[in-house]
Amino acid sequence: MIRELEKLISLHDLDIMISDLVNKDIIKQEKKLGLSPDLAAVKLRKMRDKLFLTIDRKHRDLYDQLAGHYGNAVVPVINLLCSGCFTQLPTAFCASPDRNDQVETCPSCGRFIYWCD
Amino acid sequence: MKRQCLCKWNMSSKNWKNAISELLTEFSFKTTTENLLQTALETRELADPTIIHEDIAIPHCRSILVDDFMIIIGKSNSGIPWPKEKVKVIILFITPVKPSGPSEHMELIKHLAKALRSGGAEKILSAESSAEAASILKLSYEEKPEND
Repeated sequence: MIRELEKLISLHDLDIMISDLVNKDIIKQEKKLGLSPDLAAVKLRKMRDKLFLTIDRKHRDLYDQLAGHYGNAVVPVINLLCSGCFTQLPTAFCASPDRNDQVETCPSCGRFIYWCD
Repeated sequence: MKRQCLCKWNMSSKNWKNAISELLTEFSFKTTTENLLQTALETRELADPTIIHEDIAIPHCRSILVDDFMIIIGKSNSGIPWPKEKVKVIILFITPVKPSGPSEHMELIKHLAKALRSGGAEKILSAESSAEAASILKLSYEEKPEND
């Protein structure tokens, strides 16, 4: 998998982690376990910003647009379907053996897509 | 419904990063997926180590890379620095990202918090088998096949 795509997936997972740590119910449960979700969220935001800046500008601008619009900017392809909009992707589009070696977007919804290896 | 978990007894790792790797290996993910999950779990630990009780750590995250709950209980007799305090039990879990939001992730955290309260933490530290540890956490234990 191309490094840029790995970074986009990591960015997405980091955004999920941060959103979890500002969710009131999750904060309550994590505190019950003795964790410090507030502190973790602050540090994760710093790490997120650092990772964000290492991503190609055109990809990060698109990531922000997609995340703002859909809530999720990166989705896996499952059974030739974009798991964001459930549109079937063209067969030729999916046939390449090195399909994760480039950053691709769904032709229908525009989300970044990757194939589960 | 009881969630299934794997167990790894007698862990050999000497540091927390290797311990996460040792546990992730048990799920038999493909290399890229495993590496990305390792990064996510490490990032969460670097932000704030997830030690919840003396000797217990719960590395966890939600990820688009899994489509089901992945839970594993690890045990080390000698203890693993996390990174300063040593832990002997590691409960690692990864939950899927679903359109319904983080409710299932929260439910699992709530479930574990409940199971570990009122003596559960002490019981899991002294558990002598995988099945016993899983039972303390009210999870069903899935024995890993010898050959995949």
